[in-house]
Amino acid sequence: MPPVTPVHYLFLSMALFTIGVIGVLTRRNVIIILISIELIFNAVNINLVAFSSQFASISGQTFAIFVIVAAAAEAAVGLGIIIALFRNKETVNADEIDLMKW
Amino acid sequence: MQTSDLIRILPEIILAVAGIVVMLLGAFQKQNAGRMHPAIALLGLLGAAGAIAYQYPWRSLDPAFGGMLELDAFSAFFHILFFLVAALVVLSSSEYVAQERLASGEYHALLLFATMGMGLMASSNDLIMIFIGLEISSLASYILVGFRRGVATSSESSLKYFLLGSFATAFLLYGIALMFGATGATNLTEIHLALQAEQNTVTAMASPQLTPLVGPVPTALVGLSIALLFVGFAFKVSAVPFQIWTPDVYQGAPTPVTAFLSTGSKAAAFAVFLRVFMVALEGSAQDWVWLLWVSGLLSMVLGNLAALLQTNIKRMLAYSSIAHAGYILVAFTAHSEEGVAAVMFYLAAYALMNIGAFAVVSHFGNRGERYVEMEHYAGLGYRAPLLAASMTVFLLSLIGIPLTGGFFGKFYIFRAALHADLVWLTVLGVLNSAIAAYYYLRVIVFMYMHPAAEQIPVERVRPAMGFVLIFSMAATFLLGIFPQAVLDFASQAAALLLENLGNGVL
Amino acid sequence: MTWIHDHILTVVLFIPLAGAILIMFLPKENKNGVRWAANLTAFLGFLVSVPLFFWFDSSVGEFQFVEKVEWIPSIGANYSLGLDGISLLLVLLTTILGFIAILSSWTSINERLKEYYVFLLLLQTGMLGVFMTLDFFLFYVFWEVMLVPMYFLIGIWGGARKLYAAIKFFLYTLVGSVLMLLGILALYFINRSQTGVATFDIVALQNLNIPVNLQLWIFFAFFVAFAIKVPMFPFHTWLPDAHVEAPTAGSVILAGVLLKMGTYGFVRFSLPMLPDASSHPMVVNLMITLSLIAIIYGGLVSLMQKDWKKLVAYSSVSHMGFITLGIFTLNPNGLSGGILQQINHGISTGALFLIVGIIYERRHTREISEFGGLSNVMPVYATMFLIVAMSSLGLPTLNGFIGEFVILQGAFEENWVWAALAVTGIILAAAYLLWLYQRTMFGPLDNPKNKNLKDLNFREMMTLVPLIILAFWIGLYPKPFFRILEQPVQKIMERVRPAYYAAHPDAFGAPARLNAAAQPSASLETEAAAVRSAEKRAGASR
Repeated sequence: MPPVTPVHYLFLSMALFTIGVIGVLTRRNVIIILISIELIFNAVNINLVAFSSQFASISGQTFAIFVIVAAAAEAAVGLGIIIALFRNKETVNADEIDLMKW
Repeated sequence: MQTSDLIRILPEIILAVAGIVVMLLGAFQKQNAGRMHPAIALLGLLGAAGAIAYQYPWRSLDPAFGGMLELDAFSAFFHILFFLVAALVVLSSSEYVAQERLASGEYHALLLFATMGMGLMASSNDLIMIFIGLEISSLASYILVGFRRGVATSSESSLKYFLLGSFATAFLLYGIALMFGATGATNLTEIHLALQAEQNTVTAMASPQLTPLVGPVPTALVGLSIALLFVGFAFKVSAVPFQIWTPDVYQGAPTPVTAFLSTGSKAAAFAVFLRVFMVALEGSAQDWVWLLWVSGLLSMVLGNLAALLQTNIKRMLAYSSIAHAGYILVAFTAHSEEGVAAVMFYLAAYALMNIGAFAVVSHFGNRGERYVEMEHYAGLGYRAPLLAASMTVFLLSLIGIPLTGGFFGKFYIFRAALHADLVWLTVLGVLNSAIAAYYYLRVIVFMYMHPAAEQIPVERVRPAMGFVLIFSMAATFLLGIFPQAVLDFASQAAALLLENLGNGVL
Repeated sequence: MTWIHDHILTVVLFIPLAGAILIMFLPKENKNGVRWAANLTAFLGFLVSVPLFFWFDSSVGEFQFVEKVEWIPSIGANYSLGLDGISLLLVLLTTILGFIAILSSWTSINERLKEYYVFLLLLQTGMLGVFMTLDFFLFYVFWEVMLVPMYFLIGIWGGARKLYAAIKFFLYTLVGSVLMLLGILALYFINRSQTGVATFDIVALQNLNIPVNLQLWIFFAFFVAFAIKVPMFPFHTWLPDAHVEAPTAGSVILAGVLLKMGTYGFVRFSLPMLPDASSHPMVVNLMITLSLIAIIYGGLVSLMQKDWKKLVAYSSVSHMGFITLGIFTLNPNGLSGGILQQINHGISTGALFLIVGIIYERRHTREISEFGGLSNVMPVYATMFLIVAMSSLGLPTLNGFIGEFVILQGAFEENWVWAALAVTGIILAAAYLLWLYQRTMFGPLDNPKNKNLKDLNFREMMTLVPLIILAFWIGLYPKPFFRILEQPVQKIMERVRPAYYAAHPDAFGAPARLNAAAQPSASLETEAAAVRSAEKRAGASR
């Protein structure tokens, strides 16, 4: 079995990234969109950690922790906003969020 | 961590403390706290500005936190601009907050946090810090946009801003990660050196078993990373083709928040944009200049054309803000010292005139932002002459008529662009700025040349709002008649920013 | 007194502005107070400009009354003012017409009086600044700032289609001027790379040597701005709209002064700064063709107008065609005639608009068919109209004749076809003006609404009389005006056609006429030698 190189990680993260982007662009439920964005964040984390170990530098891993923290904060804010909208419009479907033209 | 490090982020610390105090005040003091919040917010901003002034002269010889933060003249310029913007927004929203019964404590706290994040963005010299600053300011502004909780449009624009904003942040992050992978560094200056040497920074610390990893910078990775970084920043400055969120968000957000976003956040985003591209990626300019060229042109054209069709004044100003991002990108495309200075000056001039314009919109909009359509402005020139006159000044400045800050801003931009031999972009730019006159003039036409269709109440202007209007008007004229001081500041900051680069100071 | 002498231009420039600021603080209800303040300001503005005429030394080629203060050192922009013969005449025209325009609106404007006078006075400062400044950047500032008050004047106090006219005026001029800004910047950068000095100084920029290709680009950048302002065919479409909708004072200022800014731009900037482009055969042919089209087209369209004011507006297109024709003959006659004709046009067309305004105020219509036989009820009015019409169509002893004659002389010198075609313009002018006169003043007084029209009152006479006096003065004794123009014309000629004076030692403005000591080496050898000697003599005459 060949060893796992940074290139493998890169491909894994790219796959996650792509899935995330496709999710954001095609899904209509805003919660799923939020999850897809989280997926991209995690793709970033995989990259950061992989490169960090490659360069034997700690800054990548530190960065990954910051990203996790920020993603958590973002999810909290995002869900709050979604609830606020749901109270006003009773929907979480992106197609129905159309008070203003896109 | 040393004391000097702490002094570097003293402005941010003061803002954070002020924000927390404002927020906690609500928990301990039920009544009358509303009046205290703006005062404390202003005090915090003043203190933070003092902390910036204390560090004069702003040289970057002693960066803080191992090179993560630099309080150079560039960041001092932006700090002062952010504080000014935040202070004006605080003053101009006092009416609004009372009228819409917004939670005053949280509102002011979030404004302060957002300002703090923007401050961090301006001084960070490291991709990690940039990300953190960006997140702090973005999270606060997502909430601010949706602050009129009971209003569907406000929550809607908040959600749109949030989803698209974090999507763009994700792109930016991915770009950062790739850049880290390509160069082994997150510090902008180190990235610059790595790209220049075409060798990743591993060499510095390589242990024997890692030597195979020491190597050249993979250009494909760098190119991809630049593209992703561009997407992220272009979104934040609302440049075409990543401008889609701007009109909806600006329309739905509370008007003072719109003012804040269109001036403060935009300036912060441009500060980071400039620092990353002019410092870290300066060496590969040929790879990204054309991106800026195209995006700048498209922003001007689409922004102006779409603005021509608007009837809602906030939406019109939103599209105009896209066009203004385009003008700024023209100067950025010049990627020269002059260009950087022009961007900085323009952001300052734009901030003042736009805050003024939004202040008028906010005041005139009345309860529930009822009067934000252009036809509501009919006859305003005779019912509220001073309000209309100040609006006229701001609009003329947005057009770029001489003796206003907007004119000098455009002048410096086109001068820088022409100096960099961007002849066609400049020609298209000036023509655009002439076409743009049409939709600004339409507002003036409504105010002065149409009889009022219905009797729209115009409230008396409160002192705080009056101060904002007078201040922005005076500043707009000052920047238009005696721009020397601000221009000197901007060009020295730009020179310093690029000079360190040449010396390779880390 | 010496302070006034040293700062006279600043004083002249800012008196209207000071008056405007003063009026802003007057109470709105006190209409007569506002009127008096505006009129006195404008009159004072005119009075202080009179000494310029006497203090001006027409034998000096340099700019006079120069004032210079640093403004924005980092880009090299200065607050610098100065006059030569060309700008002297235009400044005087502006102060006179400015006063007359304000005087003429005493009764015709009753709404939003205060704002009206404020805008008129602001406009006045803007126009004076355009003609006085010696800094290209400052020039641009005045040029653009002036748009705003004019826009409001048309848009608020204008006629039925005022919004359309106001916006059209604003956008047309703005598009032109932003391109000019690029041209200015180009010159600025060229100067900086050649001399190392960052400056917008007009005198410095007039001494550049620029490759012809580049000159042509910059020329066309300027051309758009100036041609729109003049307006030259085919950029003239904003003019009739703006004129017809503007209030009388606005039309007077617009025709009398604003249009001159375009031709002034050609004379002050295009010719001396871009001499090779201006004398490029392609450019000359283009400019002459456009001018001739404007002359004939403007005349024909005037002939067909049913609206009195529109007729005058289109006649402006035709007359301005003469001016650009004169300028681009690129010989001393054409140039001096072109410059003088700017003044003449300001006087006669300004007066024609006053005439229209007076009748419009009485009848609120400008349909020519509504009138007839007015000379029976308004004899003074009819007389004055006759003089003004004669001056406009170029009757000898009146000013229009002098200008047009000299221009035609210049045109004939270059190409007789040009002159022949231009003459048709004069014939057309005679046709449409006389026909207009006949339809309105003569014939039976059959419209009952015209039966009780009052003749001119004293104030209305006072708006016309100064212009008529000037018309006779220039018509009978134009010499002082030509003397004032001699030096500036010579300077332009030396830039545009350096060999001209050597070949034509007797031409207008030739150095030999100014400095008898320098012997004209008339019968010249080669062109190169001629250039050299011309330069030498120019040096000697200084």
